Formats: sequence, structure tokens, C-alpha cells
Amino acid sequence: MTDTPAPRIEAVSPLREAWQQFLRNKPAVAGLVLLVAIVAFVLYGRYFVDADPYRIVWAPLSAPGANEAVPLGTDFLGRDMLVLLLKGGAPTIAVGLSAALLTVIIGISVGALAGYFGGWIDDLLMRFTEFFQVLPALLFAMVLVTLFAPSLVTISFAIGIVSWPATARLTRAEFLRIRELEYVTAARSIGAGNQRIIWKVILPNALPPLIVSAALTVGVAILFEAGLSFLGLGDPNTISWGLMIGQNRSFLLEAWWPVAIPGMAIFLTVFAVSLVGDGLNDAFNPKLRSR
Amino acid sequence: MRLTRRTFFGASASLMALGLGPVSAQARRGGELVIVTGENPRHLNPAVQSGVATAVPGTQIFASPLRVDENWDLHPYLAQSWEWADDGLSLTLNLVPGVKFHDGQPVTSEDVAFSIMTIKANHPFQTMFGPVDTVETPDENTAIIRLSQTHPALLLALTGALCPIIPKHVYGDGQDIPSHPANTAPIGCGPFKLGEYVAGQQITLVRNDDFFLEGRPYLDGITIRIVPDAASVTLSLESGEADVGMVTDATAINRLNNTDGLTVTPRGFEGIGPIQWVAFNTRVAPLDDVRVRQAIAYTMDRGFILNALMRGVAASQKSPIIESSPFYNPDMPSYDIDLDRANALLDEAGHPRDADGKRFSMTMETIPGRDAALGNVPEYLRSQLREVGIDLELRASPDFPTWAGRLASGDFQMSMDIVFNWGDPVIGVHRTYLSTNIRPVIWSNTQGYANPEVDRLLNEAGHELDTDRRRDLYFQFQDIVGNDLPVYWLNALPYHHVFDDRIDLPLSIWGLMQAMDEVYWTEDR
Repeated sequence: MTDTPAPRIEAVSPLREAWQQFLRNKPAVAGLVLLVAIVAFVLYGRYFVDADPYRIVWAPLSAPGANEAVPLGTDFLGRDMLVLLLKGGAPTIAVGLSAALLTVIIGISVGALAGYFGGWIDDLLMRFTEFFQVLPALLFAMVLVTLFAPSLVTISFAIGIVSWPATARLTRAEFLRIRELEYVTAARSIGAGNQRIIWKVILPNALPPLIVSAALTVGVAILFEAGLSFLGLGDPNTISWGLMIGQNRSFLLEAWWPVAIPGMAIFLTVFAVSLVGDGLNDAFNPKLRSR
Repeated sequence: MRLTRRTFFGASASLMALGLGPVSAQARRGGELVIVTGENPRHLNPAVQSGVATAVPGTQIFASPLRVDENWDLHPYLAQSWEWADDGLSLTLNLVPGVKFHDGQPVTSEDVAFSIMTIKANHPFQTMFGPVDTVETPDENTAIIRLSQTHPALLLALTGALCPIIPKHVYGDGQDIPSHPANTAPIGCGPFKLGEYVAGQQITLVRNDDFFLEGRPYLDGITIRIVPDAASVTLSLESGEADVGMVTDATAINRLNNTDGLTVTPRGFEGIGPIQWVAFNTRVAPLDDVRVRQAIAYTMDRGFILNALMRGVAASQKSPIIESSPFYNPDMPSYDIDLDRANALLDEAGHPRDADGKRFSMTMETIPGRDAALGNVPEYLRSQLREVGIDLELRASPDFPTWAGRLASGDFQMSMDIVFNWGDPVIGVHRTYLSTNIRPVIWSNTQGYANPEVDRLLNEAGHELDTDRRRDLYFQFQDIVGNDLPVYWLNALPYHHVFDDRIDLPLSIWGLMQAMDEVYWTEDR
């Protein structure tokens, strides 16, 4: 009898597996490429075009392409749309990211505690969540921004505060499911405390759907910021794509580009984020995996 | 304003003979009018509340002693004639006899006296009847207004929404008049009676069949529909759901101009005289230096504001007095854009540029909800001030009261502001520039501007009965503030009246803020 080695099973880490799965998803890859391109444009564009975005450089409402000096045209004051678009990108994306981060932090904390402990804690936290869920989101965000004066920070907070209930419910559902599984019981049997079980045992296993939800929240938050700016509740001292739309909208019938160009930028960003989010969803969901 | 000597002393006799003129031959009875507005009145009693929202229904319900036409000429209304005493210290009003309030009670000189004293005590425009000592009532159709000093603005203050005659038997019951329950269920003697008042939604006015002018009003009723915003006003005018409205937004004006069957006109706002300006807090550095204020003025291009931001629908305004007024001084300096001049003034004022080319930072208040509609001047100013090394931060207020509070308490550096002339300079102009009117309320002298010479000129002009001499005083006043620039005047607001072509709508200097008894449909709606 010769020792034949057992057939070698290649150990692939779950993350690596998900990544491979992601790469097979063509729309998701396209989304990622687009997203990277947008971020690169926003972060490094200033190395190509560096100017004061507030500077009036040309006649107001010049059409894109009408003049080489202003390839994307000018806004209602005659400011360069390209420069504004560059400067407006970072705050727009920053609001999206920070609002999503806040959403995840509040949502996971509330959802994890409710789902894990159950009982009266669950009841209490879920009623609390429902309270926020039934508030009309845009209206409530408008009230918050109005109360605390519009700035990027207050706007991010407002968006975060109105968006977290969905994440909380998702987290709770995952925790309810996972806390009954054997490995949790096993962890408890070796003496792990609640803290450890919540953060080290259950959360990592509940994470995949939450990552997807967080990615989609980024897109929602960017749209939200645009909506607030459109309504005149943006930070007046920070150029963002939403603010550009808001400032130029009363001239829409005469000139479409000062509204359409930042609108397109928002659309592409949210679109890219959604594609990536969907890709992550497929990649992390074993049932959807095609081998 | 054609307040000539003729108007003051000679006109009463001839006007009395003319009366209101013959009733127009083709005037047709019947039909209703729907007025749409985005402004929600607090109540309907203009005796204790200023503003267009109260004035439009208020002038239909209440009648005033006099009325004024589009040429600033005065006409009899409740007073069939009026007469100044030779010393200019008393004015006699002879009332139309037999006029009745909507509840059937007679209108007497007692009511006139009561109304004027009520307005004097409660109306925000304190200067209107400030010099009135007493109103004597020798008989029930004669009221004599006694003044402590000559007061040329008095006649205009007796017109339109400025002097509604309110019933003493209703309001004289000892209750506080600004919060009187009758303010939302008013009884007057005007051409229309209140039908129904649903706060925030609709005001229905029905024809007063016992109106004291024979055959008037022509309309059966007026509905004032209150909608949430300017866009809804535009839409309902465009669709024909409403017949009459006011719009200020350039895009809306241009759009309605291209709508068939609508008349769009800037007429009818001469009395209001709405001026948009940049206010400087003259008490705080660096704006306490006149050179800094002038430098800021030199960075702004009024032509750009009128054409690019206001889309060509607003009129230029470079003076505290509306440019359509005869008191306007056409020699006011206009501070045409001159960045070199601005830079030189800032250097001179001791604000050199630092290594980055910056001189200093400032903040500017924006009026909630208004600035976007009015072309976003602060955003323009930010771009322009950067050219001369000033960083401008905009400060938004969550709501109108917050903004008003900041200005009233002097907690600002610069702000946009919109202030109305309200007919006579005594009412709407003096308040901004008199050092005695530096008070913690909005639309007083919130700039903290004090110049003894300006105080003297305005006080003198306020009492000067000779129109030429009065004009001269106002010209001198404009020369001084034109140099001092406590505020920098940009433009008249592009207020426009919009109405169905089939309506015959005479627009006086008060526009819709005067009785609409002469309004009629030239054909069926």
C-alpha cells in the first residue's frame, strides 16, 4: 500500500473567493472602473485644471464646446463648469461616505443589540427604530439641516440619522438568524462573553449583506445631498454637485448644461456605486455563486 | 410723485367737481375674479398690519378717505373733498354722507378719528400719522386732522391700505386691536364684504350691494387663493385657474409673457417702490470705513446684475428713492464697476494684501428663500470680492425670523435686504437713514448709520410743504448717502402684475392694494 496523498483541496479564503466572484460579474467590474475613474478625476483633476472655482471667467451661461477656454461651458455667473465640477466632487462624495459610515455605525449598533439580546431590549430598540423609520426622511432631514445651519457636517449627520433604520433592521435579522447557529453555541460553551460573541463571532458572519447595504447607502446619501442642495439647503460655502444644480436651476429653461452636467456626474457616481454594490451582493451570496 | 402745490391746496376743489368721473360706458357687471398669491396674511386688518398679503383683501373690505391714481394724483373716496388750512397744520375731510358699514351701521367722522388714532398707535409705519395730534369731529360728516407740524406725506397716507376706516363700534370695545378677533372677520365699508376666510388657504370676498358708489363694484366677488409657493402662482396663472397675480421671478415673468391671453406688466408697483440693496453694518470693522464700503460697491457691475442675474426684467436702482419717483436724484453716483479703484480704496483704508493676495474675510447674510429667486446676488458678490482679495462667507438663516433677528440686533456684517418705499419718502425712506431710528427691529436703520446732516435734511424734508424745496432737500440727502453708502442700492425688484387680457384692471401706484370696484370683465370668462 502506498501512501497516496489525499487530493489537495485548494484553500481559498472567503474574501478571495468573493473577489474572484466579483471579477466574473462584468457590470460590477464596469461599475468599479467607473467609480475609480470618478474618484481619480475628483482627487487628481486639479493637477490638470487648477483655478479658483469662484472666478468669473466668461460670459454667463456659455454653452459647452462653444469656447475652448471653457470646455464644459459656464454657469449662471460665468464660472467655469469644469473647475466647479472638479471642486464639487470631493465634498459630494465625502458627504456620501460619511453619511453611509454614520448609517452603518448607528444601524449595526442598534440592530446587533436588538437582535442578539431580544426580549425587552429588542422591543425597545425596534420601537425606537420604527419611530425613525416612519418619519418622512427628506422632511426630517430638512428640519435637521434647517435647525443646525447647513454645513457639510450637519448635512452628513442629517442624512445618516434618517437612513440608519433599514440597516438596523437588516442587522437585527442577521443576528436573530445567526445567534441560534451551532458555532455561536460553541463559542458560548467555551465561555465567550456577550461582547465577544457579538463583535467577534456573529458580526463577521453577518457582515456581507451589511457591506452591500452600506455601499448602496453611499449612493442614496449622494442623491440625498443633491436633493437638499436643490432645495436650497446645501452648505452655501462649499461647492458640491447638488449645490451647482440648485444654484442654476432657475436658469434651466435658458441653459440646460449647468444643471445637466453636475446631474450627470451625480448619476454616474450613484450608478457606479450601485453596480459595485450589486456585485458585492452577488459575490458574498453563496446561493448566487455560479461555479 | 407729483405732490405739487396744486395737489396740496388747489386740487381739492377741482377734484370735488370732477368726482370720480363718469362710469365707463362699456363697464360690465358680473363675474368673479380669482387672485392667486403665495403670501399668507396674518389677518385682514391693514390698520395694524403692513404688507401686501393683508393689504389686497384689506382694501376691498375697508375704504380709505382718499385714493390715488397711476400718476400719483389724489381722488376723493370716502372723503368727497378735503382742504388744508392755510398754515398747513390741519386738514379737513368732508365725508360722503350716508355711507354704511357692512353691518348696516353708519360711517361717521368718529370712525375716521378712531381709525387714524388706531393706526397712529399700532401701525408699524409710525411716521405716517406721527405728527397727528388729534382728529376733531365737529359733525358726523366732517373730520379735522390737527397736526403738531406740517406733514406733506399726510395725503398719501390717507390712501389705499395705509388708512382703512375701521368701525369704532366693533374695534372700540377695549380689546387689544392688533389681536382683535374682528381682524379675521372684518367689517368695513369697502366694495366687498368678507365671505369666508380660511387661514392659509382662501379668502372669499362677496359684492357689497350697499356700496356707497352707485353701480359699483362691477364684480360679484373676488376669491384670493393662497398657494404655497411662487411656482404654484405661476402655474395657476398659466393654466387660467387664477385670473390675477403678482410674480417677481424672472423666469416666471418671461414664461408668462409668452403665454397667450395674459397681460404682464411692471406697472402698479410705483407706490411700493421695492428696492434690493446690499446692507453694510456701519458699526463694525472693516465696514465702519466708508472707503471699504465704496470699494465693495466698485466691485459690483449693476448692468451684469440686471441682465445676467435678473434676466432683464428688473429696473436699475442707484438711490434710496425709487427711480420712478420725482424725488429721485438722477445725479447719484453709480459706482460703475472699477476693480482698480476698489483695490486702491482698500489699500488706502489700510487693508493690504497678504502673501496669498488676501486682504480680509467677511460674512454676508442671505435672505432665506429669496436670494435664489432674486438672482443670487451674494454668490456673484463672492466671486467679485475675491478679485480684490476679500473672502466672502455666506451665512444662511434657517428661517425668515432668524435672519430678521440678526439684522435687527446688528449681528451681521453684510446682508442682502429688500425694503419698500411705501409711497412717500417719509414712510419708507427716512426709516433707513435717520440715526434716531436705530432700533432693534427689522427695516429700521439696521445699518447703524448716523450722520447729523442727513438727520437734519430728512427732518426738514418731512415737514416741507413746498414741493420744489422738498425735492431739493431730498436731492441733498441723496448726495450725502450716495457718498456714505450705508447700503448699496442695486435694483428695483422685478415685481410684475399678471392678469387675464379680458379684465379691465386699472393699476394705480398701489396696484392691487386699492379698492377694485372699477375692475370688470370685458367679456365672459
